[in-house]
Amino acid sequence: MTAASSVAPSEWVIDLEHVSKTYAGGVQALRGIEMKVRRGEIFGLLGPNGAGKSTLVKILLTIIRPTQARGTLLGHPVGHKPSLARIGYLPEHHRFPGYLTGAQILDFYGAMSGVPRVDRRRRSAELLDLVGMTAWATRRVRGYSKGMRQRIGIAQALMANPDLVVLDEPTDGVDPVGRRDIRAMLLTLRDRGNTIFLNSHLLSELEMVCDRVAILVKGKVFSQGTIADLTAHRQCFEIEIADADPAQTLASALNLPPPATLQAAADAVPLGTLPSGIAATLTRTGLRLDTIEARDIQPVIDALRAKGCTIRSVRALRPSLEDLFMEAVIDPGTGAAHAPGAVESARQGGPQ
Amino acid sequence: MSLRLMQTRAMLVDAYRELNSKRLFWITMVLSALVVAVFGMFGINERGLTFLHWEWPLPFFNSKTIPPSLFYRFAFVNIGVPIWLTWIATSLALISTASIIPDFVAGGSIELTLSRPISRLRLFLTKFATGLLFVALQVSVFTLACFLVIAIRGGEIEWGIWLAVPIVVLFFSYLFSICALVGLITRSTIASLLITLLCWVACFAVNVTDAVFLQQRAQAEIAVIDNEKLVARRETQTRRLLRDAVERNQPFPIAKEGEDQLEVVNPVLKFTRRELAEARLALADWEYWTNISVAAKTFLPKTSETIGLLNRGLVSMDELKKLGLIQDESLDADLPEDPELTLDQSAKSDPKADGKTEAKPEPARRRRRGGPDPRGARIVEEQMRNRTTLWIIGTSLAFEAVILGIACVIFVRRDF
Repeated sequence: MTAASSVAPSEWVIDLEHVSKTYAGGVQALRGIEMKVRRGEIFGLLGPNGAGKSTLVKILLTIIRPTQARGTLLGHPVGHKPSLARIGYLPEHHRFPGYLTGAQILDFYGAMSGVPRVDRRRRSAELLDLVGMTAWATRRVRGYSKGMRQRIGIAQALMANPDLVVLDEPTDGVDPVGRRDIRAMLLTLRDRGNTIFLNSHLLSELEMVCDRVAILVKGKVFSQGTIADLTAHRQCFEIEIADADPAQTLASALNLPPPATLQAAADAVPLGTLPSGIAATLTRTGLRLDTIEARDIQPVIDALRAKGCTIRSVRALRPSLEDLFMEAVIDPGTGAAHAPGAVESARQGGPQ
Repeated sequence: MSLRLMQTRAMLVDAYRELNSKRLFWITMVLSALVVAVFGMFGINERGLTFLHWEWPLPFFNSKTIPPSLFYRFAFVNIGVPIWLTWIATSLALISTASIIPDFVAGGSIELTLSRPISRLRLFLTKFATGLLFVALQVSVFTLACFLVIAIRGGEIEWGIWLAVPIVVLFFSYLFSICALVGLITRSTIASLLITLLCWVACFAVNVTDAVFLQQRAQAEIAVIDNEKLVARRETQTRRLLRDAVERNQPFPIAKEGEDQLEVVNPVLKFTRRELAEARLALADWEYWTNISVAAKTFLPKTSETIGLLNRGLVSMDELKKLGLIQDESLDADLPEDPELTLDQSAKSDPKADGKTEAKPEPARRRRRGGPDPRGARIVEEQMRNRTTLWIIGTSLAFEAVILGIACVIFVRRDF
């Protein structure tokens, strides 16, 4: 059981039990999504092109009608329109009317979300300042750069002081300084108790700010949880030794049968399982042990030292979000990445 | 302020800002001002028509025969509204507003509004209503200017011309509903504009066809009435002649078996009866075609007739007669008298003599020879005015409701 599942039900901002969407023509964009987002966290949604990320976000925001949707959003069933007043949204390729100024955009979308006029004026000034657009507030959007539009887009998403902010590629087109500012802003919002739902391709950025992530592949949640949870079983220790023939040395030190020589193309060869049950893998420079417990590797170090091996380094390795992502999108059978796009239904004769 | 009111107000303000940013809106406004200026430069005095300091003496068209207020009212109703507002300003309005729905449903834009706490149905209908703002503003400004011209130059406060605002907006809404539907389906401004113009032309063509059929039916109706009177009169005249001949013991042609005695004595009667029969057939034909055109129109928006409601409301039948646009002659008016029929004349005018009639042209035929009977215009005008406002607006709104209903279903069900 993960830490997430022990949270009280009212704490879930998004609690999806089963969400599916099959488009006309039989394309199955979502195939039973199950997802939970906790109040006050930054949640990252990632996945390859055509995984169904945008479809899921649009279903939550009533832009797309689901084929089936069981679950709640801010405590109400998915599709409950009044709840949208508590949600701020920035679509990926948003297009604001060119005839409006930045301030007018904030005012218009604020009014559409039900923010009273007095609050709109105050919030507008605050948010324009927050996104660094005060000087451009009275200029028409058609004269804005992409980054400036993105800043105004984020500001409009925050106009209603929403409980949940859904941002689709919020740093798209923004310069590095702007990205840093946006990251800082997201963390500030989270600290204030807002929930942020991020949809992005920039894995490094997600890794920097997200408390929890979900990886979508071909319309299904491949994995979800905190980055630490997701990488826990993939953490390992790597022991680098200074030896001319590490394979023979390691095998004899650990009482394992000597492996075949490393093939040119292979980075690692399984060496076997130690008596403690830890899998050992031979790498080009040493040994990799699949455990997250430091105490588990102490007997190995002792054995190596007893055999006179020179240990150059011992490192704890944790996979990055990109490693997780790649693991999700690589077909284990073929070793190649999944073809982009959604799954077609059996009716269409496509793969399931 | 309630959420609904706040959203509606925001969308209206947004629509105004959008209009304000369109050059065509201001170009149309300036052109409207020019039209009103020209309208005000024309005048009528006791000698005839005036334009600035020029004067055209017209004995039958001056302030003695037509009051200045009627002159301006008539010009507003028959030139300002049908030509300027209905054709030119509406075309410009369509060009300006055709992009509203395609832009609204464009990717990147629609998501921002659909993700708000507003139902799709209300969102679409409010957006549709804001599209009518262009025309509403144009007509209001134009009507205000014309109201002032009529008050200042015509010397009459004519509140009735404000009817132009709802009537023209209503007329535009028929077309804009088509524009909205096509724009929603195709997401293309050009396609929605072209198809709307095509539908408008089609409605206009149906209206013209209907008017032509009505005119033809009116002419046939007049022919039937005139010929019925003529037949009745000639029968009476011939019977009297026969009775006199019998009383005076004068000889007269005797009918053979299968012949009508009256027709033998007065061969013109036979021809008149034949004309009456032909006129009745023609009337039946035109009634059939008129019914078809009315049935077809029932399902279409009545663009011309909707605008025509303004004419009905502002210019009465009496005023149309005063303007000389319709004949003040009743259908029951007596036909000109035939020359006195004698037995000698009846023998001479036998149509069987050379296979063609030699009879003198009768009044009913004489009337039609120089073109349509002017009484027809009055019949058509009366028939048009007899079509109820409920039928004209009700059926047009039913059409609009169907089109908008389809658009709403598509909008509500579509995945964006």
